[in-house]
Amino acid sequence: MGVFAWRNLLTRPMRTLLALIGLSIPILGVLGLFSLSDGLRNMVGDTLSQIEGVIVLRENTPSPVASTLSIGVVDKIRAVPGVRAVAPEVWGIAPNIEGQGMLMRAAGNLMSKKGAGSIWDQPVISGQDYPTHKDLKSAVFPRALKERGEGRFLDERDVGKSSIVISRKIARNFPNDKGEPRKVGDRLLVGEEDCEIVGIYETGSMLLDVVVVMDIQTARRILKMPVETVSSIYVEAQTPPGYQAVCAAIEAAEPGVSARSMNEVQANFGMLMGQVDKVLMMIVSLALLVGVVGIVNTMLMSTTERFVEFGVLRTNGWSQANVLGLVTLESAYLGLLAGVSGCVLAWLGTLVANQFVGGGLRLGVSPFSLLLGLGLSVATGVLGGLYPAWRAARMVPMEAIRLGSH
Amino acid sequence: MIDVVDVWKSYKSGTRTLDALRGVSCTIEKGRFAFIVGPSGSGKSTLLYLLGAVDRPSRGRILVEGRDLTAMSEAEQNDYRRDTVGFIFQSFNLISNLSAVENVLIPFMPRGVTAEQRARAVDLLKRVGLGDRLDHHPYQLSGGEQQRVAIARALVKQPLVVLADEPTGELDSKTGDEIYRILRSLQESLETTLVVVTHDRRFITPQDLVLEIQDGLLADDAEPAAGFATGLHAAD
Repeated sequence: MGVFAWRNLLTRPMRTLLALIGLSIPILGVLGLFSLSDGLRNMVGDTLSQIEGVIVLRENTPSPVASTLSIGVVDKIRAVPGVRAVAPEVWGIAPNIEGQGMLMRAAGNLMSKKGAGSIWDQPVISGQDYPTHKDLKSAVFPRALKERGEGRFLDERDVGKSSIVISRKIARNFPNDKGEPRKVGDRLLVGEEDCEIVGIYETGSMLLDVVVVMDIQTARRILKMPVETVSSIYVEAQTPPGYQAVCAAIEAAEPGVSARSMNEVQANFGMLMGQVDKVLMMIVSLALLVGVVGIVNTMLMSTTERFVEFGVLRTNGWSQANVLGLVTLESAYLGLLAGVSGCVLAWLGTLVANQFVGGGLRLGVSPFSLLLGLGLSVATGVLGGLYPAWRAARMVPMEAIRLGSH
Repeated sequence: MIDVVDVWKSYKSGTRTLDALRGVSCTIEKGRFAFIVGPSGSGKSTLLYLLGAVDRPSRGRILVEGRDLTAMSEAEQNDYRRDTVGFIFQSFNLISNLSAVENVLIPFMPRGVTAEQRARAVDLLKRVGLGDRLDHHPYQLSGGEQQRVAIARALVKQPLVVLADEPTGELDSKTGDEIYRILRSLQESLETTLVVVTHDRRFITPQDLVLEIQDGLLADDAEPAAGFATGLHAAD
């Protein structure tokens, strides 16, 4: 019966092909969206895993860029038991670099066929207080420079100076007059400040590789921030009592601030991605619904044309269940074929997409996703075939032959 | 032996009820070659399909070798159609994407085809002269060849009864003769009861049983109609 069902599909190749396309596209969409969701999750996870400490921000602010704290908070946090190191930082969206703002750069990239770039390419300034940062054990950028970068990180020579450490990505995005990536020793105009590049780092994360690291005073000057303010404070805890306890102690000691360990940020991000997944599931459900309707339509057309066939089968002893099984098997095959096509397309699509995205965002289709896609597709096929199958099976054989003959 | 006892078959058409059969009773002995003849719309095919348990009578009983078709459950009717009765249709009704031998094996497909069943199908196709056409699909066969495949399909289950609805209706007279020659030959060798609905009386021989039907009644029970004199009788 399996071979019979398979041949029935091949009898009308164009209709089968169209139904296949109709169902494989939603499956491709499902896998594509979940691949993107997984990619983002992994990228953020990888990024956060590079940051070990606690970030103290003004309460209810989403990121250091939007946060402002009084410099006086630094000393209060330093006095909290269990705190090992406290490093104030200034953060802000970089003003024009080399005279170009974000819009100008996007337009320029479009004209030069590089593409418009993305929001992830927008440089961000991080002003670091060297005397306190040198005590940190888990600082991200010095480690990234040491492992995969070149030049040196900021030190006491750079206090109050216009020295900067940039990422390899920024070096590429802002090439010199010859079109070559900036190198250590080159200069870069950040706002109105002519800065010297002393080091180039690479973290591999598109979220971190946009940061221009400089001395905190220089950053305040470029970002036009008052001297008595900082954006955030990076805190390292002593092993006991650990980060969770230190976060609680900081928030208790200084009302109006929010101390977030990376575990907490990761958990929050996980919850956010959970919500995103729910929205994705809703979109996917709609797409699958369209797929089911397509299968119903295809199978209805197919069964309507084959009333005589079903009548003949029934007169030869096939039961209603046998006919139901035959038609459902056909639609299940259709679902399976669509699932395989959708999975292969999704897999190829992620391979191609990975050539164009970078910065730690790696798209991929896991074996679980492939199985899920196949399962969904077969289930959609079976579901879409049930009504046409039931309609074909319940016909009185004589009626089926008469109807089909006319 | 087939016993048809006071069988009625009615259809609803809007608010009207149409009686396709109105109290038909007859007996067809085992191994007979029987014809059901009559004008179009007289109820011939309806009676034939009732004998095949393809439909149920509105009233009355049909017994085949003592088994009451009207009392059978749906599953029992399926078994009856699969094991006891074979059908031959006017339009051959082969499945286009199956080969000749696969078409013959259709009754056995749901439960899986055994080697013995396949051998029997091949043997039957050879006996109807299609030994060299086993793997041909219907579109590769002439009308007469397709009908021979249909005959093999009807006989492969070694049925007690074969029911044929205008088996030569779409064939030229020469091919029609050939089909009847095959049917008679196989019916004699297999001792199957054969009931044929036809308009064409050329193929009726004196030994055959003829059931004349008009307006849902066998001729003996029918109201006298102009030009309609024969009733339930042997052709001789």
